[in-house]
Amino acid sequence: MATILLEVATPDKGEVYKNDINMLITRSIDGELGILPKHANLLTELIPNAMRIKEGGGETQLFVSGGFMEVTPEKITILADAAEMPDDIDVERAKDAYKRAEERVTTYKSAPKNHEDIDIDRAEAALARAKARLLVKGVPIP
Amino acid sequence: MANLQHIRRRIKSVKNIQKITNAMDMIARSRFNAAREALLSNVPYVAKTKEIMRRVMSQMRGQEYEHPFIKTRNELIAEQQEGAGKFLFIVIASDNGLAGSFSSNVFKAAHDTIEYDGTSENSSLDDDDDENFHRKNFDALKGVKPTGKRTPKQQRQMSATGGIARATSHQGGGTSSGKNLAVTREYNDADYIDGIELITVGRKATTHFRQRGYNIIKSYHGISERPQYKYAKEISDLVMDRFASGEIIDVTLIYNQFKSAISCAPDEVTLLPIVTDDYAKSSANLKEEYIYEPDVVTLLDKFLPRRIATRIYGAMLHSAASELSSRMNAMNNATDNAQELVGRLNLFYNKVRQAGITNEINEIVGGANALE
Repeated sequence: MATILLEVATPDKGEVYKNDINMLITRSIDGELGILPKHANLLTELIPNAMRIKEGGGETQLFVSGGFMEVTPEKITILADAAEMPDDIDVERAKDAYKRAEERVTTYKSAPKNHEDIDIDRAEAALARAKARLLVKGVPIP
Repeated sequence: MANLQHIRRRIKSVKNIQKITNAMDMIARSRFNAAREALLSNVPYVAKTKEIMRRVMSQMRGQEYEHPFIKTRNELIAEQQEGAGKFLFIVIASDNGLAGSFSSNVFKAAHDTIEYDGTSENSSLDDDDDENFHRKNFDALKGVKPTGKRTPKQQRQMSATGGIARATSHQGGGTSSGKNLAVTREYNDADYIDGIELITVGRKATTHFRQRGYNIIKSYHGISERPQYKYAKEISDLVMDRFASGEIIDVTLIYNQFKSAISCAPDEVTLLPIVTDDYAKSSANLKEEYIYEPDVVTLLDKFLPRRIATRIYGAMLHSAASELSSRMNAMNNATDNAQELVGRLNLFYNKVRQAGITNEINEIVGGANALE
């Protein structure tokens, strides 16, 4: 089976992932993307999501908290703000973050006028990150 | 005998200094390990960003494409004929001294770059480096014939109003820089300084450039050993703002690049404008066009700021690791020298003591002989 090189780098953890893979499924701001070997050149922005990496018959999941993805026919480069393998994810922290972010989003949504102090973009991004982390870990979302 | 006590005191003080330098060495060593870790984790990210940047830019070349940060050299010159802005430099050095030649190296490189006027040939920098085109930009702009308004170089010479007072008032204070003739020449040259803005990281850099009358628009203290991304973000937001508003036309970053635990060298990077001509060399390796999602403007709007901020952050990490390794080496040498000095002083002390004893014996023998 044809393979394509996937490299995931973050500013403070170095190269988190580097391997020849068969397929990558991730989410860009325009929607879900599946990348196979010999894909056309592509540059896009990613949103927080649980990436699915298919390699050698198995499938691993990798959390990315947004960033940029460049695809060339031989290589996928992901510049992520943060990226974590399932083993590196702190479930309790993600759960707490999820609750906090969800609370803020719902209070804001109930009455946007009264809660202008809430940075809704940040809250929603935090919510998406926590969700993706829990998804990678396979923890049911509360 | 007073002499003996004197020597003893000296030995004591040298030993005390040795203790201090030794402690500083160990502190620097432990911090250095952390700084190197941080740097090594950041390097792949910056390298990959640069790679992508190079591919995208080389493809961008020759296309009619509108983004305020991206220009061809011809556009740069054309724009220059309409108006002029200032040059901005970001200088990253240390907060504390006692790090050998760490700071002076980066200052020297900074002066070379800032005061570059198109004539100096002593460029030690690699010409093929597509991250550094400040000098090329400057050379290109120098030939510009002003149509109504002035080129930056001429602007520097003409608008010397505020600059003179600032520079002359500092003439007395800056005499310590006398060893570097080029520098003394420049800081007296007020016209030059007026077209330049600086952002400094590290107390040493701020003092150095303030003494020479440069216009420092922002400085960061207390972060040089442990840089944080948010400061790099702040700096990049500031320069992008000023660049977008046309106040500045060139942003160059000067810092110490970490090579190994025993060596580092100053490096300069042009952050803005991004000149596509300089990416031409590598254009051969990509013929097909990129698909941009959602579209190229939206994407570059997000990607370029990120790239600039990470470049500054990377430079800060390089600088931190270099600073600590320089301090480590300097303090290690100081400790060794103190050890040697103590050895020599001990020898001297013993000689004097011996001479004293011999003297006393002579006196006693002499006295006894006189009694007989």
